[in-house]
Amino acid sequence: MSILSLQNISKKFGAVQALSGVSFDVPQGAVYGILGPNGSGKTTLLGIVTDVLKADTGSFMLFDQAAAARQRRQIGTLLETPNFYHYLSGYRNLEIAAAIKQRDKNDIARVLEICGLTARQHAAFKTYSLGMKQRLAIASVLLGDPEVLILDEPTNGLDPAGIAEVRELVRNLAGAGKTIILASHLLDEVEKVCTHVAILRNGKLLRSGSVDVVISRHDYLELAAVNNEALKSALLAYPGCTSVQLNGNVVVAVFNASPEPAQVNSYLAQQGIWLQHLQLRKKSLEKAFLEITNDPA
Amino acid sequence: MKQLLYTEWLKVKNYRTFWIMLLVAVIMIPAGNYVPADIMSSRELNQAAKMLGQSPFGFPTVWQTVANISSYMTALFGLMLIILVTNEYTFRTSRQNIIDGWERRQFVYAKLIWVLLLSVIALVVAILTAVVIGFAYGNNAISLEGFSYLWYYWLQLVLALSLALLLAVLLKRAGFAMAIFLGYTMMLEQTLVLLLKRYVGPVGGLLPLQAGDELLPFPLVGKMVAASGDRYDDSIYLLFLVGYIALVIYLVFRKVLKSDL
Repeated sequence: MSILSLQNISKKFGAVQALSGVSFDVPQGAVYGILGPNGSGKTTLLGIVTDVLKADTGSFMLFDQAAAARQRRQIGTLLETPNFYHYLSGYRNLEIAAAIKQRDKNDIARVLEICGLTARQHAAFKTYSLGMKQRLAIASVLLGDPEVLILDEPTNGLDPAGIAEVRELVRNLAGAGKTIILASHLLDEVEKVCTHVAILRNGKLLRSGSVDVVISRHDYLELAAVNNEALKSALLAYPGCTSVQLNGNVVVAVFNASPEPAQVNSYLAQQGIWLQHLQLRKKSLEKAFLEITNDPA
Repeated sequence: MKQLLYTEWLKVKNYRTFWIMLLVAVIMIPAGNYVPADIMSSRELNQAAKMLGQSPFGFPTVWQTVANISSYMTALFGLMLIILVTNEYTFRTSRQNIIDGWERRQFVYAKLIWVLLLSVIALVVAILTAVVIGFAYGNNAISLEGFSYLWYYWLQLVLALSLALLLAVLLKRAGFAMAIFLGYTMMLEQTLVLLLKRYVGPVGGLLPLQAGDELLPFPLVGKMVAASGDRYDDSIYLLFLVGYIALVIYLVFRKVLKSDL
């Protein structure tokens, strides 16, 4: 079953094309990252899915059904900012959320505890710090223990300890088999938890699918020898080596599959090149992401 | 519907501004009727009224009198509604309510509940006020003749509150919506009515709130105006009043259902 299925969604704000022809599927149990720089259309996309924005063209389904309020009630959603009644306490705000979601209000104490707001639950929302507001929004998402969560920049406004807690929470939820749609521009946030990813830039979907496929990050080798020029020529002749670059005192060699350092070493020795330095390195997610989003195609 | 009502109740239960405004709005109806009732029931004016054949504060005319006077006190209910609705936009809970699982039309229903509740509260207070004043300042036994004026009053309230709702969903900001609402209901429409009546004809009486006013003349003055013959039949004003309510509510639905929140 697809939790969310998008077909050809487009949306314009005045002259700005916020989304153009976006389609992808979120399978059940996935932790689906929606990645993209600021202004790439992540929140607009989630706004359409939650019916606060209207798509110009295209359609989408939730739980393989036409999307309606009944489906939204099964999803815990934090979109953009925490939206609460300023004059009411955290607890009373959650009472309203529970009433609309048709969830048991006995669950409020549990979610407040998870989000560390129990002590301040009876203070008015307007007295909360930015981080506490965000925590209350996360508490509201967790109400009734939904099977699907949509989290738009969930660590916004949190201090480092809070960020770590939210990541831990997301990991635990993912471990419990929940489907999570996580929009973020923080790559390590996505790297640590996501199974799938969709990458947006200027409203266009650049790639989508499972993380390993979308962001191919073959390991590469860093090498050095007395004669780096000879080393470069020898590496270029090695089967599977796609590029070689001299980077300061080291040669960076990229392969079309993960290289086996011992084999490369042995090959170079046969060529009469003795290495002073050999290290297997992993391409950073940032680098892979920038390669994708900067690609003019 | 019960669930919508319960949720709206949770929103106002601990909202002090709302309760204070409601208290003031409710007190204004008996207070606003008591002052003219007391002044006009002084001996001399009472004599004058008797010569005209009826006392405006005795049964059955008191229904019409109270409906007429109370119709000047509608603005505060309108402002309450504007606050309740624009709050949702200020706090962006208009979005959150939908995200959490209301249909957009349920959001409109929830606000229409307030139109109904506030107008019924005002109607009930006006009825009680008329009963008390009728007994206190009149000499006749209670009679329901002319009670229909209170229904006209109620319809005019529903229209005024629907207009407040429309302004709130269109403008989204409390100050802006309140300024336009007060400006229109208190002066702008009256000016238009006057100009239209002077230069075009009785069609000026068909503007939204004026249609209600035409149905709610002050008892003695109304007779004189009606005698001049320069107006439509009551049924025309009633038709327009109901038509305006339907149109305004339709526009509210259209705005909320179609646009981005």
